[in-house]
Amino acid sequence: MAERIAITGVGQTYHKSKRKDVNAPELVTEAVEAALKDAQLTMKDIDFVVSGSFEMADGQYLPDMWILPEFGGVGKPGLKLQNAGTTGGVAAGAAFNYAASGMFNNVLCVTWQKMDEGQGAFGRGGGGLSEYWQSQIPMSPITNFARRTFAYLHNSGCTEEHFAITRVKQDQCALKNPYAQLKLNTTVEKVMESMALVWPIRYLHMCPSTAGAAAFIVSPENQAKKVTRKPVWVEDWFCAHVGGAFTMAEDPTLSTLRHGCEVVYKRNGITNVLKDIQAFEVYEPCSPAELRWMEEVGVCEDWTAWKLMEQGKVGIDKEIPFNPSGGVTATNPIGATPVIRIIEAALQIRDDAGEHQVPQTVNRALATAYGGQGENVIFLLRKSL
Amino acid sequence: MTTAEQKQEPEFIQYKYPRTQHYWHALGYQTRAVEGFKQGKIMATKCSKCGRAMVPPRIVCPECYVEVTEWVDQGQRGKLVAAFKIGYPMYDRRTGESQVWDKPVVAVQMEGGALLDGWCSETDLDKLKPGLLLEAVWRPEEERIGAYDDVLHWKPVEK
Repeated sequence: MAERIAITGVGQTYHKSKRKDVNAPELVTEAVEAALKDAQLTMKDIDFVVSGSFEMADGQYLPDMWILPEFGGVGKPGLKLQNAGTTGGVAAGAAFNYAASGMFNNVLCVTWQKMDEGQGAFGRGGGGLSEYWQSQIPMSPITNFARRTFAYLHNSGCTEEHFAITRVKQDQCALKNPYAQLKLNTTVEKVMESMALVWPIRYLHMCPSTAGAAAFIVSPENQAKKVTRKPVWVEDWFCAHVGGAFTMAEDPTLSTLRHGCEVVYKRNGITNVLKDIQAFEVYEPCSPAELRWMEEVGVCEDWTAWKLMEQGKVGIDKEIPFNPSGGVTATNPIGATPVIRIIEAALQIRDDAGEHQVPQTVNRALATAYGGQGENVIFLLRKSL
Repeated sequence: MTTAEQKQEPEFIQYKYPRTQHYWHALGYQTRAVEGFKQGKIMATKCSKCGRAMVPPRIVCPECYVEVTEWVDQGQRGKLVAAFKIGYPMYDRRTGESQVWDKPVVAVQMEGGALLDGWCSETDLDKLKPGLLLEAVWRPEEERIGAYDDVLHWKPVEK
């Protein structure tokens, strides 16, 4: 029987496009120290370390070999994981599983991406899967979402303006988050005027490249209660990955987010999503994605999210508290991004999110990770079990 | 020159850089699709249970987890499902160079049911709407290489 587990400490860096003032180990250590301080623990208390970054975007092979020694991670049992966009998602899931095994008291999950040193060209078009089947057309996260955005425009009946309205909403949330990177104070007009990166995706729709790190500590019930007065309980997690080579022929109107959410909702008795979940931190790599993801996680019917966005019903203190942190469109240190979603969801439950705190009591929050061309990891966190 | 002196002669192995690096990938059962390209055909496998047609072909349906043995010619026409246009020089994975891509990319739902991506000859983005009927334009037969881009692009069918 697995132990009940709770997050006892969280920490992240102030995310920036460039961190020339620190090297990668220093950057990661900032997040680890913040998480340890939050849990009032030291590295001596940590008995398992899960680390993760997307190596291609770091521009380094085995970056953990010079990063872990910097914060005292050497000699402890642990593992390194990488899985493109869902790296932080699978790392967090592994940390949860190790904590739930009951074999370890304090499991540290640390993820990072220092994209100012890595291969930025990846995001602009290097990703692909099968050399034979997929190398003739440049595939990237941007083209993937351009395809999805085209399908959204035509299936929902919305206009490009609705993507701009969504971008402004994301920006308004990010402006209240001290850790967010892009704080543009932008307008619908400015978003609509920005260049078509991969039509119909515009420059201001897309997430930035980020230097940043994020960490949390998770413990079994007995230990968690000793460590903190505000444990954030991990209710469930589910990893929904599609076969990579399948994605070329993938329907641009579908992802695995809906499937993953349906599984965790059923397992945890969630029947009314908006009533049962009070805060959402869903991995949206661009503004149009947020609309489709709202539908896939079940806060509204298919092809209707743009209407709610237009009516101003989405935001920190609105009917639908979707991505109160400003989301991935404002901040995206790839490997760490899913862990940031978990941290932000945990802060909402603890009532510690500050200016971007959802006003209603958050008893349950949903966090997700997105990667590749349609993979998702879904997490449910609770104030009490 | 004595034998001992000969042994002291340094021996060099020479590589010239930069150089082209070739990769070889075995396609296995997908070879049937490669032969199809050479004949100007798009061949997909079709699941006997759910009816899904797959390009790239698979011999196990990922949804039903049943063995797929049926091969179906997907025809020459399909309908536009999605489209996008790359707006800046993007990395070409086959050469390692960035290049400008003039044509939009379309996702095409074939007559046989398979969904695949390709270039589109229509560059007026306003004309790219879901349901637009497209037809494959092939490389001349003698120039075909048995690759996915033996289909040069997709052309709107004139009414």
